[in-house]
Amino acid sequence: MGFGDLKSPAGLKVLNDFLADKSYIEGYVPSQADVAVFDALSGAPSADLCHALRWYNHIKSYQKEKGSLPGVKKALGQYGPAGVADTTSGGGNAGGDDEDDDIDLFGSDEEEESEETKRIKEERLAAYNAKKSKKPTLIAKSSILLDVKPWDDETDMVEMEKHVRTIQMDGLVWGQSKLVPVGYGIKKLQIGCVVEDDKVGTDQLEELITAFEDYVQSVDIAAFNKI
Amino acid sequence: MALRELSSLEKFLGLKKPNKYSTQGDRKVPVLQSNSGPGLVGLVTIATQLTQEAKRPDLLGKSAEERAVVQQWLEYRVARLECCVKEDIKTILKDLNTYLEDKVYLAGNHITIADPLMYYGLHPVIMDLAVMDKEKYLNVTRWFDHMQHYPGVRHHLPPVVVLRNRVYTSGHH
Repeated sequence: MGFGDLKSPAGLKVLNDFLADKSYIEGYVPSQADVAVFDALSGAPSADLCHALRWYNHIKSYQKEKGSLPGVKKALGQYGPAGVADTTSGGGNAGGDDEDDDIDLFGSDEEEESEETKRIKEERLAAYNAKKSKKPTLIAKSSILLDVKPWDDETDMVEMEKHVRTIQMDGLVWGQSKLVPVGYGIKKLQIGCVVEDDKVGTDQLEELITAFEDYVQSVDIAAFNKI
Repeated sequence: MALRELSSLEKFLGLKKPNKYSTQGDRKVPVLQSNSGPGLVGLVTIATQLTQEAKRPDLLGKSAEERAVVQQWLEYRVARLECCVKEDIKTILKDLNTYLEDKVYLAGNHITIADPLMYYGLHPVIMDLAVMDKEKYLNVTRWFDHMQHYPGVRHHLPPVVVLRNRVYTSGHH
């Protein structure tokens, strides 16, 4: 996770992409997550990064309530899209704390800390380069909730579930399931699974499940969340 | 449709006592019955009244400018969304997308009564929108997803799945 180096254009671009379909860094209300990322930026993003700019101006308006926003401030590397190398963890926990001291837009001690910021910048730059050369791969996972619909209310849902669970694929882990009534006595099977994006595609899964023609009338994806 | 919206709005505002509504005319304009005198007619009028009743004037806008913007969107809701044709939908979505590019909420930096009402109005439209269009009007989709997750707004409407499909991101930022 993480956005990469938020002081670099590449990092800002990641932030911009991330915020294109989200109003906040985490969840649907402003939280300490937004404060953490906001503090890490050295200034307002440029106008061509319109989503980052929108988010920035919005969070700026919460200046006064900064301390009372919900959530716990985590290290910067914990936020952002999965799959981006976490470049801030090179500095360790110290790096996380320094985010606050470093560019504190709402504080007045910037003069005194310029020496420290220079040192931290260099330290982080070295860590970033080291990380870049190592190029760790992070596995992108998603949690999918499938709705499996039977032909009628006579279908044996327990058998159906057993059949669905026999589907084994590399990168697929079945999770919880429950029966949800849809009306007229018919129940649909809602089953969750965690998949690795590269190895398992939803079309494949759907095909394999609909192959059990005796039990399964159709399959839908009820929810699809990136982890 | 409008009646269910109004009862959802009441829940959103935290009003404990549900009001009695009826409709009038072919277009089923909602009417709020009141004990004293004639009832209030019209979605916007009733919504404004409910907000006052709930003692949440901030939902109508914190400054004069904000209040004007809120009223503008309420009018937009009734004038354009209620009686629009298929061709108009594209224009409406395009306008909304441009407007929401640099805004998180419709008016100002906090939720106002315009947001849930526009959400209710747009819900049938967004439900039927193809994934490609959802990507095209990315800001509308973002705002819509935000609204449906906002505590107290969604109520009677089914959630619309909003997926960011990586295939289409090449043309957008």
